[in-house]
Amino acid sequence: MSNKLFSLKTSQARWVILISYIIALALDTIALFGHSSPIIPPLTLFFLLYWCAHFLDRTHLFSAFILGLLADTLYQTTLGAHALLFSIITFLMIRHRLRFKGYPIWQQAFFISLYMMCYQLLNYLFFNPVLSSNDVVQYWTMPALSILLWPILAYSLGKVTNTANHD
Amino acid sequence: MHFVIAFTLAIALMAADHYGQLMGSFRSLLLTTISPIERLATLPKQFYQLTTTDFTNIDALKLENQQLKTELLLVKAKQQQFSNLQLEVSRLESLLGTAGKINTQSLQIATVTYYSNNPLSQYLTLNKGQLKNVVEQQTVIDSKGIMGQIISTAPTYSRVLLITDPDHQIPIRIQRTGQRGILSGTGHETTQLEFIPKNSLVEVGDLLESSGLGGVFPAGYPVAVITQIENKNGNPYLDITATPVADLFQSHKVLILSQATPYLNFDEDLTESSDVK
Repeated sequence: MSNKLFSLKTSQARWVILISYIIALALDTIALFGHSSPIIPPLTLFFLLYWCAHFLDRTHLFSAFILGLLADTLYQTTLGAHALLFSIITFLMIRHRLRFKGYPIWQQAFFISLYMMCYQLLNYLFFNPVLSSNDVVQYWTMPALSILLWPILAYSLGKVTNTANHD
Repeated sequence: MHFVIAFTLAIALMAADHYGQLMGSFRSLLLTTISPIERLATLPKQFYQLTTTDFTNIDALKLENQQLKTELLLVKAKQQQFSNLQLEVSRLESLLGTAGKINTQSLQIATVTYYSNNPLSQYLTLNKGQLKNVVEQQTVIDSKGIMGQIISTAPTYSRVLLITDPDHQIPIRIQRTGQRGILSGTGHETTQLEFIPKNSLVEVGDLLESSGLGGVFPAGYPVAVITQIENKNGNPYLDITATPVADLFQSHKVLILSQATPYLNFDEDLTESSDVK
């Protein structure tokens, strides 16, 4: 069981990963358009961290860089800024992913909230957004919301990956 | 090693984009790549609107059509007057021998497809792009005033940085007194008027119009109205908040200005704009 868990190859689920990134970008776009709230976590980064922890044969830094560039285009920020943020967070995950993969889901969610806190901190340093009093609370609550979102995402993507592997 | 490459490349990209403005075509490529995803993202909203909108009866549509035709006639009549006045002013200017000329712009009507309204970025996406000769730094207005400027273009659409975006600044003058200043976005649907000294004659309700300095925005278009003035101790300048006059997030049809040709040129068929609010 453990051998199977740690020997999954990225090539076995290449299309699933690609489609999941497209869906994540579309969800981020939906969250951005209109009167968006800073409490919603970046789902592209969520998906990226999941695949990074799930498939250990690649570093996923190329994906992080490209997704970061697309995020820069989406959020209309300086080109390379989100690419750098995504690469840093992915690098932190790479250093820790062997242990992370063995954790129970609630513990994974806790660590994901820490990564999201790092992301928010770096985001704040890079872009220095002007936040109203309401926005400040929502901005810093985002990592807490990530704790709730991670189990749902992990469960859904786990199901999809298992189906893809059986096929 | 991969991380070091990604890190270095990201820093180089940021520097090139921030200081050199060299990344226009690269950003345009990325914008084109992300375009289908943005379209995909608007499908749920379009479906929701389609299923929740009441079907307007044909009589109401006929009435609206009649009203629009009447308005069009009036606008055309005013246009003729405007052309005559323009010629008259040119004649008078040549008599006086002044060098000043009235700036005339060509116009393109565009439709707002999506908008972003968050503290990091405030922008609109329009359905006109490079194929319709839309270029960066063109001014975008609605029926009330200046909304922003084009910052990036793709073949079939373009992005407008709104005047409320934290990275946006526009040179303005106070219409009543003629005093000049810089209007910066705050990221929260308002703007801040900077560098106005404490002894200035500025009042709540004053209209701010574009000054034309810098050559990006044409002069004389309304931009914002002053809504709040604060005089803080120790600060040599007044703390002034202004609300944009344009309907930044409500306008469906907007105009893209360019100063290239001397006559008004409605590129989009006016029958398309029957849903102007």
